[in-house]
Amino acid sequence: MSNTWVDRLDNPASARLRDPAFTGYVGIFLGAFAAFLAIPPIEARTTTWPILVGVVGAIFGIWTVTRGRRRVGWGAVAAGILGLALGILATRSGTGNLHTVFDPTLIAQTFGFATPLVFGAIAGMISERSGVINIGLEGMMLMGAFWGVYGADRGGTWAVGLVVGAVLGGLLALVYAYFAIHLRADQIVGGTAVNFLALGITGYFFVQLYHNQPVPNGVSTLPNLKIPGLSGLHFFGPAIGDLNILIWAGFVLVIVAYVVLFRTPIGLRIRACGEHPRAADTVGINVYAIRYACVGVSGVLAALGGVYLSEGSQGNGTFIFDMTNGRGFIALAAMIFGNWRPAGAFGAALLFGFSNALALRLQVYSASASTLFNVLPYVLTLIAVAGVIGRTVPPAADGKPYRKQ
Amino acid sequence: MTEPGYTPSPEQAAETGTLAARIALKQRAGGIVVPIVTVVIAFLMGGLVVLATGHNPLLAYRAIFNGAGLNWIFHPTTSMASTASYNLSQTLLQTTTLILCGLAVAFAFRCGMFNIGGQGQYFVGFFVANWLGVDFASMSPLPHILIAVGAATLAGALWAGIAGVLKASVGAHEVITTIMLNWIAIWIGEWLVADGGPLQNSSQPFNPSSNPVSSSAELPVFWGSHTLGGLDVGIFVALAAVVLFWALLNRTTLGYEVRAVGFNPDAAAYGGINVRKNIVRAMAISGAFAGLAGALDMLGYLYGFSQNDIPLSQVGFLGIAVALLGRNTAVGTLLGAVLFGALLFGTTHGLTGNVIQPELAGNLTYIIQGLVVLFVGADVLILYVWNSRKRLRPARSASAAGAS
Amino acid sequence: MSDDHVLEMRNIRKEFPGVVANDGVSFDVRRGEVHALLGENGAGKSTLMNILYGLYRPDGGEILIQGKRVSFSSARDAIEAGIGMVHQHFMLIPVMTVAENIVLGVEPRDGLLLDERGAERRVRDLSERFGLAVSPSALVSEITVGQEQRVEILKALYRGADVLILDEPTAVLTPQEARELFEIVESLKADGKSIIFISHKLNEVLEIADRITVLRRGRTIETVPREGATEESLARAMVGRDVLLRVEKTKSDPGDVLLAVEGLEVRDDRGIEKVRGMTFDVRAGEIVGIAGVDGNGQTELIEAITGLRKAESGTITVASEPMHGANARRMLDAGVGHIPEDRQRRGLVLEFSIAENIALHDYAKEPDAKWGWLFPRRLVERARSLIREYDVRGGGPLTRAGGLSGGNQQKVVAAREISRDPKVLIAAQPTRGLDVGAIEYLHRRLVAERDRGRAILLVSLELEEILSLSDRILVLYEGQIAGAHEGTVSEEEIGLEMLGGREEKVA
Repeated sequence: MSNTWVDRLDNPASARLRDPAFTGYVGIFLGAFAAFLAIPPIEARTTTWPILVGVVGAIFGIWTVTRGRRRVGWGAVAAGILGLALGILATRSGTGNLHTVFDPTLIAQTFGFATPLVFGAIAGMISERSGVINIGLEGMMLMGAFWGVYGADRGGTWAVGLVVGAVLGGLLALVYAYFAIHLRADQIVGGTAVNFLALGITGYFFVQLYHNQPVPNGVSTLPNLKIPGLSGLHFFGPAIGDLNILIWAGFVLVIVAYVVLFRTPIGLRIRACGEHPRAADTVGINVYAIRYACVGVSGVLAALGGVYLSEGSQGNGTFIFDMTNGRGFIALAAMIFGNWRPAGAFGAALLFGFSNALALRLQVYSASASTLFNVLPYVLTLIAVAGVIGRTVPPAADGKPYRKQ
Repeated sequence: MTEPGYTPSPEQAAETGTLAARIALKQRAGGIVVPIVTVVIAFLMGGLVVLATGHNPLLAYRAIFNGAGLNWIFHPTTSMASTASYNLSQTLLQTTTLILCGLAVAFAFRCGMFNIGGQGQYFVGFFVANWLGVDFASMSPLPHILIAVGAATLAGALWAGIAGVLKASVGAHEVITTIMLNWIAIWIGEWLVADGGPLQNSSQPFNPSSNPVSSSAELPVFWGSHTLGGLDVGIFVALAAVVLFWALLNRTTLGYEVRAVGFNPDAAAYGGINVRKNIVRAMAISGAFAGLAGALDMLGYLYGFSQNDIPLSQVGFLGIAVALLGRNTAVGTLLGAVLFGALLFGTTHGLTGNVIQPELAGNLTYIIQGLVVLFVGADVLILYVWNSRKRLRPARSASAAGAS
Repeated sequence: MSDDHVLEMRNIRKEFPGVVANDGVSFDVRRGEVHALLGENGAGKSTLMNILYGLYRPDGGEILIQGKRVSFSSARDAIEAGIGMVHQHFMLIPVMTVAENIVLGVEPRDGLLLDERGAERRVRDLSERFGLAVSPSALVSEITVGQEQRVEILKALYRGADVLILDEPTAVLTPQEARELFEIVESLKADGKSIIFISHKLNEVLEIADRITVLRRGRTIETVPREGATEESLARAMVGRDVLLRVEKTKSDPGDVLLAVEGLEVRDDRGIEKVRGMTFDVRAGEIVGIAGVDGNGQTELIEAITGLRKAESGTITVASEPMHGANARRMLDAGVGHIPEDRQRRGLVLEFSIAENIALHDYAKEPDAKWGWLFPRRLVERARSLIREYDVRGGGPLTRAGGLSGGNQQKVVAAREISRDPKVLIAAQPTRGLDVGAIEYLHRRLVAERDRGRAILLVSLELEEILSLSDRILVLYEGQIAGAHEGTVSEEEIGLEMLGGREEKVA
């Protein structure tokens, strides 16, 4: 047996295929595809296809494992089995339920859930790229959520709300920055304090100003952006034809964040401060100024995510106590899961938003089981930091106070 | 002599050192004065917020003081006594929980780790206690309580142990993993009592809450009425835990190892101590304290929970404030827990609404808590005092040198 | 410009709490010359250069650039005045490219964006002009130490440096890389740049420098041209007197082999093989000294013998007991004592009391503890007697170790290690950073312990220490034993072996 098909892979042209990790990724893709086959729009009603594709995915995984790339390999095995199981489940369920869960608005809803996470994750990333850990994202978002409503209520328009929310979030961030940068406080402790503080401040003024009522009614909210020509279409219309402006702003933010951080001089300096502040200092970069600016911007962006929560299509102009309910931490998770990179953070935010949207919709099957779906972001992040699916690498000086000589 | 430029000052050493070493520096620098000053400043700033929003801060704090039942001390026998003693018993219930949640944070701190996951470990203990408290209803009280409390404590230890194992094996930062574990625990709780969930009240479908634990699993109440939720024996367990915490850290080889690893893992390894083992063990012990807190709350006075209760509970996070204020020592944590227990009950249920509404004052607690953590963590005062003391010394020696 | 002086420092004074680092130091540099700054560790060289680079502010004196008085408040000011510094520890960001590191802070722009291609082009031009071969698009994490140094030099040149400070540039280089560095220095000189070359290696200085300034204890001793200067004359100026450390000791009387190392191979954290097949033994009653330049495998060798690092292959035998795969605990129990090279990072828990530090190895054994229960009073009692015996000053058993002076800290470490009655004692850099009194004490103690029949392995970067204490000397070079000596041996001979043999030395 001299000329097996494996031998033929030694041909340099298929060098990519011979990279064991690549076959692992193929396996992961097949696993996802196995589940995808059984849901609309493909909606295969036979178990054959999901089983077949899932098993092939798992085999790719095992093959990868035997060739030394164990993490990716086991990931593919897991994806194959999971996809196979989900595929079978989907074929067993009624088509009516399937169509309730998987319709084009699922995409719109995913974006809706993902947007606060996108803002939060990018916010966290900017702060951490400059070397300051921002555990206080949750609190800064909460500030945006409350003061956004307050601004829109008093100012009469959502635009005022947007500005007021962003400014108050930025102010809280600057308070944190003073403790973290100038006083060289422990950044985890400081961030935790910021979260308590925001919870207290928003709760206090919510009671003081609105007497704890889930009002005010009729506050101007963030408008949707109807795209002419698209909103009438069959699939794209309900999916992306009528999205909130902050959702679009979130997309733009990801691109801007990427360009600024990785394609401009200021981005180079920011990253230098997060990797090796002493090196940045010795070439005359003002490390403190850059860190202050980044933490401030981080607070503003996180607050915008919060404004979306209360003033977007889901919040509809109302605030409730502790409205963020952990979204700041999911945003943090998305940032880590996305390996401190804009595209990665965006992808993670979408994935987490998707799991939220799905959890809501899966209630047609089982209320309790769908609740459990909400843990997905946290479990995935736990797996990510455990290094099972590749190593996450924070900036080298992240969380370390810098002291000028 | 080494080059002077490379000799680290105490602060530099503290910055580059471990978390525990940094905290220790602040301890030496500030003593007991700093926590007290911190609390005073936090209350002053909280008072300013109260004043700015049109309330009288002095009256508000007095009302909170009375709401916490602390006025009981002044008239334990007069007619005021019944309200005050009820309030005090409720404050002590909160204190019980906070002692244990504070010890959980403090123990991990002493091993150089920041266990931000007390809330999740508390919940895991809370849920397990409910599960075992509802089951085995035919059992006699003592074994039933022991089994439920023991299993809940173990569950908390295991939950925190996950973070410990991840840190010891792949170096995953415990702050991130414990945050994730918090939210996983919270959603598991939501699922447990969601419609169709395993712990959901079977007699009331569609009501997302748990069964009450059986009376055989309830902890004995010794102060106040059982039906009104008087003070149960859990507080003695918490006090025993304070003693245990102290003895464990200061009088056992386990504590010696934990502190050595916390201060300087390199030196600990050089001393023959297994650093990884200690990371896992310290995390597990830390989680055990929090799990125990959950069990005592469940079996002591709450007896059950609903989906709505879960997001409202903040005791695990309050434990951070308690531990930091108490400088991660046994006695300090106890005192911190009394303070925050009083604040927690005094600003909410115990408060009569004519000076300041309980809803408002309850949020004041979060503000004060935030300020305390901010100041204690940031050591504004400590480093200021420390620096000014240091600044004086070289100045004096320089002038002496100049004179000679 | 009055003459060809590009830089002059006059009467510079700088104090740190308790130390006068620079005391009226004067120093000047001419255009296109290499001016070496020579001095022992702690002579004040780095302080002087940090002042010149704007990192420290002087307490007195003045700096003149091109004849004009200047005052620097930050590195930025110094850079603008045409001063560049290559730090001993490189200030490079591993995850960024060579070009990004070089242009950081003065980036070429393309509109609002960073002109990545322009940056690479400029770096390439610059590197070709001065013969500093390095790929602009490579990540710093992927290049060699020698290349990193070139990147640092390019960084300074890119900013228009006329005066280049090289702070002990050869310390981290292989001889081959050092060779290349000297060529680079020559080409910079030819281009009219001035170079300040900080070193404490006499041969290097004599090879590369045009003029040499010797510092000692914060003062300028002399500035001499290379012509006429000899190693002997410079050495005398550096140390001030002929202070060969004399340690009174009798001839050794070696007994059984207590430590045997065979075919040992050890990798460092990055997976690089640092110890490459070492075989040697240490007998009872002798001191074996390991000489070598820093980074030749000393740390890894010690860590392997003490169980702190897993060996790749080879065997370690302690008192005829094979210790295959033993961890630190087992090595301790087998009778290996270890005075570590970094007492603050490894040897002591600074936040612990002296008593707790003395118990660091045996806290879990009787009498310190029983069944997991600790007896603090017994710790204190033991510490009290050891403090007396080892003359530890500055505190009692409950004093925090971090509050002691360096010498007393080291005495605590020595007290702990020796009082455990080890068969083998490994002393790594035992006198680093100590004052003369403490050095003498420790040296006497080591000899005394040798005479009591312990096998002592002394690892030091101070050749003098090795020469004055050792009964046998092994020279470590790139993870291998490059030479073994018994009896009298000259400093030059060992020095050559430390640098990998005579063929590496410049004629």
